[in-house]
Amino acid sequence: MGEEKTLDIKKDILWRVYLVHFGLCLFGLAIIVQVFRIQYIQGSYWHAKAETATKEMRNIEAKRGNIYSEDGSLMAISVPVYEVRMDVNAAALTNEVWNKNIDSLSLCLANLFNDKTKLQYLNELNHARKSGERYYAIKKGVKYDKIKELKDFPLFRMGRFKGGLIIPQTMERDKPCSQLAERTIGYPPANDRVAVGIEGSFDNDLKGVSGKRLEQKISGNLWKPVYDENVVEPRDGNDITTTIDINIQDVAERALKSNLEKNMAEYGCVVVMEVATGEVKAIANLKRNSKNEYDESLNYAISERTEPGSTFKLISMMAALDDGLIKLNDKVNTEHGYTVYFKDTMTDSHKEGFGIITAQDAFEVSSNVGVSKLITAAYGKNKQAFIDKIYSMKVNQNDSLQIKGAMPPDIKSTTDRRWSGISLPWMSIGYELRMTPLQTLTFYNAVANNGKMMKPYFVKEVKDKGKVVKSYSPTIISDSICSAATIKKARAMLEGVVERGTAKNLRDSSYKIAGKTGTAQRSMGKSGYKLNSKANYQASFCGYFPADNPKYSCIAVVYSPSTSVYYGASVAGPIFKEITDKIYSSKLEMHKEQQTNPIAQTDRVPLVSGGLQKDIETVCSNIGVNTLVHNNGFNWVQGNKQSNSVNLTEKHIAFGLIPNVVGMGMRDAVYILENAGLIVRVRGKGSVIKQSLEAGQSVSRGKEIVLDLS
Amino acid sequence: MKKLFTYTKGDWVIWIVVILLSLFSLLSVYSSTGTLAYRMQGGNTEYYLFKHSAIVFIGFLIIFGTHLIPYTYYSRIAQISLFIAAPMLFFTLIFGSHINEASRWITLPVINLTFQTSDFAKLALILFVARSLSKKQENIKDFKSAFLPIIAPVLLITLLILPANLSTAAVLFTTCMFIMFIGRVNVKYILLLMATGLICLSIFIGIAMVSNYNGRIGTWKARIENFIHPNPDDDSNYQADQAQIAIANGKLLGKGPGNSIQRNFLPHAYSDYIYAIVTEEYGLIGASTIVILYLILFYRTIRIIRKSPRAFATLVAVGCSFSLVFQAMINMAVAVHIFPVTGQPLPFISMGGTSIWFSSIGLGIILSVSRDLEIEQKLEPTPQLANA
Repeated sequence: MGEEKTLDIKKDILWRVYLVHFGLCLFGLAIIVQVFRIQYIQGSYWHAKAETATKEMRNIEAKRGNIYSEDGSLMAISVPVYEVRMDVNAAALTNEVWNKNIDSLSLCLANLFNDKTKLQYLNELNHARKSGERYYAIKKGVKYDKIKELKDFPLFRMGRFKGGLIIPQTMERDKPCSQLAERTIGYPPANDRVAVGIEGSFDNDLKGVSGKRLEQKISGNLWKPVYDENVVEPRDGNDITTTIDINIQDVAERALKSNLEKNMAEYGCVVVMEVATGEVKAIANLKRNSKNEYDESLNYAISERTEPGSTFKLISMMAALDDGLIKLNDKVNTEHGYTVYFKDTMTDSHKEGFGIITAQDAFEVSSNVGVSKLITAAYGKNKQAFIDKIYSMKVNQNDSLQIKGAMPPDIKSTTDRRWSGISLPWMSIGYELRMTPLQTLTFYNAVANNGKMMKPYFVKEVKDKGKVVKSYSPTIISDSICSAATIKKARAMLEGVVERGTAKNLRDSSYKIAGKTGTAQRSMGKSGYKLNSKANYQASFCGYFPADNPKYSCIAVVYSPSTSVYYGASVAGPIFKEITDKIYSSKLEMHKEQQTNPIAQTDRVPLVSGGLQKDIETVCSNIGVNTLVHNNGFNWVQGNKQSNSVNLTEKHIAFGLIPNVVGMGMRDAVYILENAGLIVRVRGKGSVIKQSLEAGQSVSRGKEIVLDLS
Repeated sequence: MKKLFTYTKGDWVIWIVVILLSLFSLLSVYSSTGTLAYRMQGGNTEYYLFKHSAIVFIGFLIIFGTHLIPYTYYSRIAQISLFIAAPMLFFTLIFGSHINEASRWITLPVINLTFQTSDFAKLALILFVARSLSKKQENIKDFKSAFLPIIAPVLLITLLILPANLSTAAVLFTTCMFIMFIGRVNVKYILLLMATGLICLSIFIGIAMVSNYNGRIGTWKARIENFIHPNPDDDSNYQADQAQIAIANGKLLGKGPGNSIQRNFLPHAYSDYIYAIVTEEYGLIGASTIVILYLILFYRTIRIIRKSPRAFATLVAVGCSFSLVFQAMINMAVAVHIFPVTGQPLPFISMGGTSIWFSSIGLGIILSVSRDLEIEQKLEPTPQLANA
């Protein structure tokens, strides 16, 4: 290559480069000029556009988590409800398109909602279009199944931009189990209402994190999303599994209701606790409303402190027993059913009195005179010792519950301003102090649990899409509230109450109940214990069962029974009994005397239908059933049940042909069919009994196949 | 530090241009990723600043590294890269991950880095074209021995990119045509090919317009339709409108750093539309500065190659420089709405790791040419060959 030539080439290249550079400069200039144009020539247009297009990042509510009972029944769920709106002046809705479809759309709407005639819909839509509506409300509060149908309607099936269909979604809180544990489940916070119950206390877990999306203001205070996508996806709230057993809850609530109705009571509550863990299995609170019906309005069980009355005698007796100040067979003179402390007369409900009886008898027949005399004799010289003992048995414990709104017990000490000379005898029988039903139950539960006091709890797990993110385990308040000997004596007394004492009506031959009745006159604030010269009563029964190996403890409280029957045993006792009967009959593990049924043993081999060979072998080996395979390495197999094994034969899935999935489980069937390119729709539950396309036909991709499951 | 300066060679004006562009980049990306930060990082707005700063820093390391390699090596590297690029594109087309419905990205195993294969292929192809042109200068006007062997790989690579990324393919094809023009290929052939390309593209767009397929073609269709017949009420014209509102907001001096309003409404404000955000925050002055910086980059490249006695040095430097500047012009033209919407990032300014790094390699190569020439001149002060 000569130098001359190189120079020529170089010159040739250089002018071209300059030319290109010139071109780029022009390009650059064009850009700058265009920026200038947009800013100064079209400027006012764009500023005006920026003004009018009020777009805003707006929150999208996250889906609130569900609340489940212990066994997975839904107790509270958020269900979406939709508004059906239409941009009747969408750009794509030309007159031609509109006129062609509006008639049939109106007909479809009329048929779907059945609220207006076709002509009404037609007129309204046409009117809305004429008046320039862009966000016309067709129907509010529409459920999802209807929305699904609606999306196939003429115009609507063309989507948001072309067909003008806009379906804003809102959430509604639904309680599938209606009233069950309503107050304990509670309400989520809302503008006009304070959150209560689990919904309130676990709001942070349930509510999720709201998302964001760009929305455009249309008219008034209405906003429509600009894109179909969200800028920030909302994070759904976590689900909560409660300790509530839906069956026990159901029976507890029904028992409470029927007894309240029978006694014309004002209100009442029931709590069932699992002895070993403190899990609250059922909690019901019912109050008579203005319509004379009972519904849940306040959580009395955890928030209403009242004088417990006779159920407290257990605590007094155990204090004295544990301190070694009395023995069960100590004699006490119950006189003639009344005794006088200073000027105050204390009476027994049994008007004639019991004469001289043992301490245990005094407890079992619930003699106020007897118990108060025993306690006054034991602690008369050192009253503070009684209070200290009660405190040491954790009666005064004030651990916070999972649900907010609980009140601490109010048990005064001798240093308290309200303490008087007659405080000790009155406190010993459950007056001059206040406790909630749940606190009383917590103590009885500890007795049933051999002295180990468990903290009652309502929420077991917090789950995020099925994955446990938080779990709550049983919490021990005290490993031992008193000596084992005292517990033994206490349980003997409680059993005695049912065997011989005030709760004889609850005796049952198939299982043993232990518990204590309580009938307290209610102090009505300033007017004292009598209002309008009529006594107000609080009837209660607290106990546990089966007495020799306690599984559940329970308290039932009925307030202000207005009829003449107001004793704990006859008002609250039956509620307790109804619940324990139901639990006993449904929990087989309590029927330890019965032999296990040998019949179940004969048919060990389960029916195995088709599926993935590996899966079936794993299942069979886990339940100890042999599998016979003729040739290994099959993917899909068909099972045949033999006398004591399962035969697996290959299930041939030919490429390009519709496979036979009858007998398979849904997951396997859908997997195979979708792999074959079909769109699968299923009806029902269980395994496949029918497929809509016959096996062996050639597959046309994207075709729909319907599976019926049984 | 001192040592670093002694090793840093090449045209200092180009270094300054890149530093200035990077500063604009850091400021605008930080400003415009607010929404993205809320969307992806739970409101941690510094996340993208740190990430982007790191990317820019690595970009500088890449420029530094590539400029140290004698540019003659890139001739061989070009050849090898092209052999890697073609199968890689093919692989991406089939197995790549889908972002916005286009399979453009693959994730490299082991280092787990996602990158757009077309970025790599683009660079490889430009180097390869520069190499082929310089090798065939003797009989460059010939069709069979010069035009065909050069155009064949160009067509292959652009056709492989086309299904997933129409705009990149078109920009790359045009870039190659310009480089071939500079490389003295017969203009007749180039025009003929451009005409064929245009016809094919029109047919393709035509098919897209009548077809009802809604994948990538649907997106192109919508974008083209929108550019030709803007529908003021249609939401899909939203991007372009928001960009123009941003530009109009900027006025002469801009709203100042971090004061953009439109960043909240403009999708992809940190990549495709960053020029609109720059204009909103720094005004007509800032917008012009960016354009001028790119033009200076190209001008300085001409200054370098004027001194170069070798065709490959000239063509590889001009090729890389043209590619960067042309892409920048296209991006800015889209933002100011003199071009339909494409997905071309603004080199050295848009957020996006691999795009910046591949731009850095291209710039490193220009500087490498510059550096080698400086050294040559110091060693043998021969009289300058062409003093045009």
